[in-house]
Amino acid sequence: MSTEYGVGIGWRPEIAGFVADLPGLRFAEVVAESVHPHGDLPPGLDELTGRGVAVVPHGIRLSLGGAEPVEPARVQHLAGVARRLGAPLVSEHIAFVRAGGVEAGHLLPVPRSREAVDAVVANVRRTQAELDVPIALEPIAAVFDWPDDEMDEGAFLTEILDRTGALLLLDVANVYANARNRGTAPAALLDRVPLERVAYVHVAGGAEHDGIYHDTHTDAVPEAVLALVAELSARHRPPALMLERDGDYPPAAALRAELDAIAQASGYPAVT
Amino acid sequence: MNGRGADAGGGRAETLAERQAGLVAALTAGAPVPEGFDGRLVGVARVALLRKRAGDVAWQWPLLAAGHGAEWTGTFARWAARRPTNGSLRDGWDFARELGAALPALAGAELAAREAEWRYDGTSAPRRRRGPAVRRAGGVVAVQIAGRVRVLRRTPAAGRA
Repeated sequence: MSTEYGVGIGWRPEIAGFVADLPGLRFAEVVAESVHPHGDLPPGLDELTGRGVAVVPHGIRLSLGGAEPVEPARVQHLAGVARRLGAPLVSEHIAFVRAGGVEAGHLLPVPRSREAVDAVVANVRRTQAELDVPIALEPIAAVFDWPDDEMDEGAFLTEILDRTGALLLLDVANVYANARNRGTAPAALLDRVPLERVAYVHVAGGAEHDGIYHDTHTDAVPEAVLALVAELSARHRPPALMLERDGDYPPAAALRAELDAIAQASGYPAVT
Repeated sequence: MNGRGADAGGGRAETLAERQAGLVAALTAGAPVPEGFDGRLVGVARVALLRKRAGDVAWQWPLLAAGHGAEWTGTFARWAARRPTNGSLRDGWDFARELGAALPALAGAELAAREAEWRYDGTSAPRRRRGPAVRRAGGVVAVQIAGRVRVLRRTPAAGRA
């Protein structure tokens, strides 16, 4: 993604009116599974694409990290939604969401092992074969690790990106959550992944439960996450950064303030 | 293979698919935490997952959640702890049906209206009804004719029976 889009937002039906009123918006993301590849777009989303906002479908149910091959129908859906939106790229997670026919209901970590890298790479390639545009892969926030991890996160991600040619969707809130929960420095991962491969960045808030920081997307963005945005932008500013909010929507003024804070931390113009 | 937690018992190393299935079973169906994992952290993830599911069901079934007030998350999480999700629409539907007489009055209208509008067999995705229907739940009657649903509440006196 060579175009600089600046600050964007995750489009959700609940905040469609707010998003439509952002005068400077050039980038948004929509949950791929919420869009029909052939039918009408959700109200408000077609207006965004109509005024030239790049809208990227973000898959959450593909299960690229599953040991089983990705389901062809899910891949076709993602590819179809990308065409429907005229999207410059798509994104999905390095995670699995089902196994043995049972839905986990959440993004789960894969072991950082050779065997798992092979499984992820095979599934990413199967997906790329159907896509007309690049795919960006997002590492997740994991509350626990697998006992048989063979690589650190940087080596694991770099190998997957190298072998697939995929781009990176870096979620700085996930980076922060993982570092905080493991007692490591959040910025350390920035030294270990290819920042020039970052297609865009997620920024979100979370909350602490049971002594663990959870990336909820339903809380305010912490200062520490904004600091990581600034740190990342100083090293290699990504082409786009977007606010991810998935519930407990605050008043418009608070959402605008979060978008402005991301703009300030990254040095992009405000979109509000 | 380093062998940690990867032995299925018969000497054969478990495949990644089997190990992923074991983890999902621990998180969604009350199965034991697979060997080698940090049991406390997997437990934290399990609880976070249930909290998220409760929030998703509350979005699909706002009156079902509102009828439980502050008890919603805990009540739903206890019910869902050993039931893997079938999606928040069906999860809320199954939960509301099982409550039966314990369904909060507020949630009765919501359930009755959906029962009148959709045919749901409890095992596959709900389908919109073709013909008219009358359904009762939590002391509320919902009548659906030509896709339009009208909810009829009993008088307060009768509803307290």
